[in-house]
Amino acid sequence: MIGGLTKHTNILDYSLASLWRRRMKNISVLVVFSGVIFLVASFQMLTQALTETAALALRSAPEITIQKISAGRQVAVPVEYTEKLSVIFGIKDIVPRIWGYYFDEVQGANYTVMGIDARRMPLGDKLHLTLQEGTMPDSGTGGQAVVGRSVKKILEQKGGRLLSLFRPDLSLASFEVTGVFKPEIDILTDDLVVMSIDDARDLFSIPVNMATDLCVYVANQSEVTTIAKKIAALLPGTRVLTRSQISKTYQVVFGWRSGFASVCLLAALSAFVILAWDKASGLSPEEKREISILKILGWETSDILAVRFWEGFLVSGLAFVNGCTLAYIHVAFFEATLFRPVLVGWSVIHPSLHLVPSFIVSNFILIFCFSVLPYLAATVIPAWRSASVPADSALSGM
Amino acid sequence: MLIELEEVTKIYNRNQINEVVALDTVNLQIDSNSMVCLRGASGSGKSTLLSIIGCVFQPTSGRVTVAGKKLSRLPDRFMTLHRRRSIGFIFQTFNILPNLTVRDNIILPLIPLGISPARMRERAWKLMDRFSITHRENFPAGQISGGELQRVAIARALIHNPPLVLADEPTAHLDSRLSEEFMHLMADLKSAGKTIIITSHDPVVTEHQAIDRIIDIKDGRIHVS
Repeated sequence: MIGGLTKHTNILDYSLASLWRRRMKNISVLVVFSGVIFLVASFQMLTQALTETAALALRSAPEITIQKISAGRQVAVPVEYTEKLSVIFGIKDIVPRIWGYYFDEVQGANYTVMGIDARRMPLGDKLHLTLQEGTMPDSGTGGQAVVGRSVKKILEQKGGRLLSLFRPDLSLASFEVTGVFKPEIDILTDDLVVMSIDDARDLFSIPVNMATDLCVYVANQSEVTTIAKKIAALLPGTRVLTRSQISKTYQVVFGWRSGFASVCLLAALSAFVILAWDKASGLSPEEKREISILKILGWETSDILAVRFWEGFLVSGLAFVNGCTLAYIHVAFFEATLFRPVLVGWSVIHPSLHLVPSFIVSNFILIFCFSVLPYLAATVIPAWRSASVPADSALSGM
Repeated sequence: MLIELEEVTKIYNRNQINEVVALDTVNLQIDSNSMVCLRGASGSGKSTLLSIIGCVFQPTSGRVTVAGKKLSRLPDRFMTLHRRRSIGFIFQTFNILPNLTVRDNIILPLIPLGISPARMRERAWKLMDRFSITHRENFPAGQISGGELQRVAIARALIHNPPLVLADEPTAHLDSRLSEEFMHLMADLKSAGKTIIITSHDPVVTEHQAIDRIIDIKDGRIHVS
């Protein structure tokens, strides 16, 4: 038992020495392999972190959102729908909301402008908790807005706290910035400008009896789906979105983009493994000679395979740890700079995300299976073929 | 008697156009604690005979018995285990791994035996001391002289204290002084109780006083001299 353990530690020691002897080659492989695993792991972690961040941010969203659809496109919804829906038991409140996009020609950036009636929202009095600094716009006082952090940066570059936006008739509407959203919810608020619903209606020239959508708040969470179905039945021509549907949409969008990128990266990983296979299967005469000498000296084929296994495992395992660690640092501390545009979007304003990647064991197992195992196969199997050569080749002078 | 070969035949590439009969019904007995030289021209079959005695491969037919064990039909794994415990090899070109240090080359046969690193170092040190190469302990083997390389090869063959030492053309690449030195070391090993079989046609070997017996091989057959 102890002899067997000592044998394996001896073989491990020999493997380490063997790696060191060919250190330049092995360090090169380690660097490239770590890089490939870093890319794949970064995507996995970024997707996971984005999905979780989106889910976190959506917790405060209304349970149901009603939008009116005409000719397949979203149009303004009549506010009078709120009266029609009052017959549905279980609805706590219905709050109209106005939002739209505003293109800042000077900065070349798109803002998302949202008008809300905070007094009517169930958590309206707690909206200030989403702010890093300042206060929410006072519904009674017009001309105020809170903005996301990127919008604030743009304003600071202009040198002021006054946000000036053009109405459709090109007249100017100015807003005093009274607050800035927290960085933790950048994914939703980075390009956002929130103002009172009246100001937003004025800015977009939307009639008083219309809104962009209606936010429905439900008393009992377990009845959300049932109430959504009732609303859809009562208001044909509307799109009724539940919070869980929106969350799933985020997952699908991130998952699709991540999947697309992952396929590209897995192709790179496969190319690496094929290269490793090609290199390992074509053992150099020096390596073949070493195997032959070891066999003559009483090493079994399994001993030689153990050496190759440890060599492969040490290189690929270290590359796996390196790649995953670097990926974590990349996502957590550098906001996944390399891949953020691919997953978050192609807008001029890129949200500055504060992501905390979570350790999902299945993700790591997946990466392990697609990296370490193929590399091990690519090194051990050719070595097994070579270890099957007759031991007598060392006797003939070689 | 340590080794006994009965009607041993070895045919390479059997039933193929390039079939070669390397050994043809060889009968041979070698006593323990003796030094035997297998003499013959290149291609005569002496290295094949040495390989069969060393359990590197099996004969096509016939029976090989070493120290009472019938080895001619053992599976490859048991032949390996036998080689590991009972046989020390010295190769024609020494077959030292040039990137390993002198000490690491010497302890190679001990690694699969499950001996602790401290004991392996201790055994290696004793042999290096015996063959006066302790000053080269941590040198890469590729950087030492031919004579030192030869002593490393002998130390490696003896590190696991085998009763049988097989040397295949050990002086083929050595000058006469180093060849004499090699035979002197072999004589010492014989005195220490080892059985030694050397293949060679070098007069330094064949005419050495420590050689007990010369077996001439020609075209795969033994000719009694």
